[in-house]
Amino acid sequence: MTSTSKRNADIAGLQGQLESAGYVAEAALAATLLLTLDLGRPLLVEGDAGVGKTEIAKAFATVRSARLIRLQCYEGLDVHAAMYEWNYQRQLLAIKLLEQDDRPLAAKEKDIFSETYLLKRPLLEAISCDESPVLLIDEVDRADEAFEAFLLELLSDFQISIPELGTVDAITRPLVIITSNGTRELSDALRRRCLYQFIEYPDFAKELAIVKIKAPQAEEQLARQVVEFVQQVRRMELQKTPGIAETLDWTAALLRMGITQISSEGSDLIFDTLSALIKTREDHTGFTPEVVARIAATC
Amino acid sequence: MLSIAAAERSDVGTLLLTRLAGFTAFLHENGYGVSAADSVDVLDVASRTGVLNQAVLRWNLKALLCNRFEEWQRFDALFDAYFLPPNKSLFVRRQPEAGTEDVTTAGSDDRAQESRAAEEQASFDDSNATGGGASREENLSSTDFSGLNQAEQARKVEALMRRLARRLKHLKLRRESRSQRGRRLDLQSTIRQSVASGGTPLRLAWKTRRRVRPRLVLLLDVSRSMNAWSFFYLRLARALCNELADVHCFIFHTRVTSVSEALRDPDPWRAQERLNVLSVGWAGGTRIGECLQDFNREQGARLVHSRTGVIIVSDGYDTGETSLLADALGTLRRRARRMVWFNPLLNQPDFTPVAGGMQTAMPYLDLLAPGADLAAIERVLPQLIESLA
Repeated sequence: MTSTSKRNADIAGLQGQLESAGYVAEAALAATLLLTLDLGRPLLVEGDAGVGKTEIAKAFATVRSARLIRLQCYEGLDVHAAMYEWNYQRQLLAIKLLEQDDRPLAAKEKDIFSETYLLKRPLLEAISCDESPVLLIDEVDRADEAFEAFLLELLSDFQISIPELGTVDAITRPLVIITSNGTRELSDALRRRCLYQFIEYPDFAKELAIVKIKAPQAEEQLARQVVEFVQQVRRMELQKTPGIAETLDWTAALLRMGITQISSEGSDLIFDTLSALIKTREDHTGFTPEVVARIAATC
Repeated sequence: MLSIAAAERSDVGTLLLTRLAGFTAFLHENGYGVSAADSVDVLDVASRTGVLNQAVLRWNLKALLCNRFEEWQRFDALFDAYFLPPNKSLFVRRQPEAGTEDVTTAGSDDRAQESRAAEEQASFDDSNATGGGASREENLSSTDFSGLNQAEQARKVEALMRRLARRLKHLKLRRESRSQRGRRLDLQSTIRQSVASGGTPLRLAWKTRRRVRPRLVLLLDVSRSMNAWSFFYLRLARALCNELADVHCFIFHTRVTSVSEALRDPDPWRAQERLNVLSVGWAGGTRIGECLQDFNREQGARLVHSRTGVIIVSDGYDTGETSLLADALGTLRRRARRMVWFNPLLNQPDFTPVAGGMQTAMPYLDLLAPGADLAAIERVLPQLIESLA
């Protein structure tokens, strides 16, 4: 029983810490993060755009007061951009300088291919930190399939082999958080190695808590109305459903316009701020002032 | 706290261990990609969280054992079914299996493989039965798939698809990669190699345009109006599946079903059996819009990306709403790189795209091609490859 209550206390504690770092997390997410620490496995986070996948890593790094190392994936990302690269210019300069040197050739070569001339990219950086950092591999689905293979090797052994230098072993194991938007199916091998968390759009209570933390200058009533409005918009069939970032942007826009409450009377003012919430042309055409007034009336 | 070592000593502990370890096998039988190795992790997790802490155990096992969104969605129901009392019958039925086996070998691999094929079919069947919704237009009689294995035409079809596959393999991206020779100098690599020769670039490195094989998604209409061509296209699809790795094939009528796995089955008779199971509703009504919408929702994000060519084969006779079709096609078009529609009726001299579905689809298509027979497809092949590039 004691271990049960201790675990519950740990989870509540982590939730509190995350909240003070500006991230509202459900108990389930906090429990998973604790498990990630225990098992030392990477955490794969999926969910729609704008539900706060990346923020988890940021908040978790803050909580653990660890460094956050971020690798943003994109199509065509290769080893040189992700792991390491030699600093050729400096190497060439060094060769010219070493011409006067009368040391044997092998010694010179060793000098040129030493760590001084190595440019560390995020993945190498992450395994050579003195204190365990949080490594965020963002939008891994954008990178090519080939990159996943590199990643798998790194995540299983936590070592990187550099032909000229040898194998670099991890000093400390980074805590790895991988996010994916589902633009490409990830390999089963990668999925199997990770713990998995799916983040959904927040419900009313959670989103309200987020708005209160991130936009404290908004009055209680406005915050409630904003969240209610956005929740209704999410239920509509839109091409781009607004995420939490959009909610916060829109709140800021409303505050800047001096709007203190959402009602059907001031709906044309609200209509002007909607570009913070609705992000495609097709969705905009669906949002006539009448629609806005109708939603506003129910808030 | 449940410590593994302590628990093994008592009977209660053993029971508990068996039951926890059996959960992995239970999930496996429900189509989860988990293995025996995961049961060890399950016990590890349970020892950390304590088994009495139901919510935390649930969350942690969810994070541990789910690999993708579908599994994530179904997990809570399965967890309840396995661990909670109301579904006791389910547990009792399964218990002998899990109980007689050693903890670490529960759901051992060979047994898993035997049951896997059957599982897949069953799960397909299940999803059909629950997902599609009953429809008066469905055809529930079985279809004879033996025609799929006839040698006539097969060789020609294979040859044509091999040609298409070969051409597709030579498509190139704008993105470049290093290569032995090429037209453009890879400056970064050249400098890198020049370090070895004291900064004099003796050996040059080259870049060339990278090859890429587009992913193909085939959506075959097998409704009654397409009856004359359904087998022909299925044969094409199978030949293409055998040539290229990244081809995904679906059949649709009043609902959409994946047949890639069945088509790839090396044993022709087993493939036939599997198709029989999958083909419930073959030659029934057509609801293209709904089917495409289901496809978008269930498979779209996973399968269709910026290198995907979507090939739809249909005559465009649709009993569903045209606005639905337009929406679904619009969504699909935005995701995919190219969209090609084969319409077998197109060769007929007096053809105009009057079918409601066809008219709706026109604005979204990159290519509308005729395709009543092999010759017609062969004629349109250059255009097809061009439009997929």
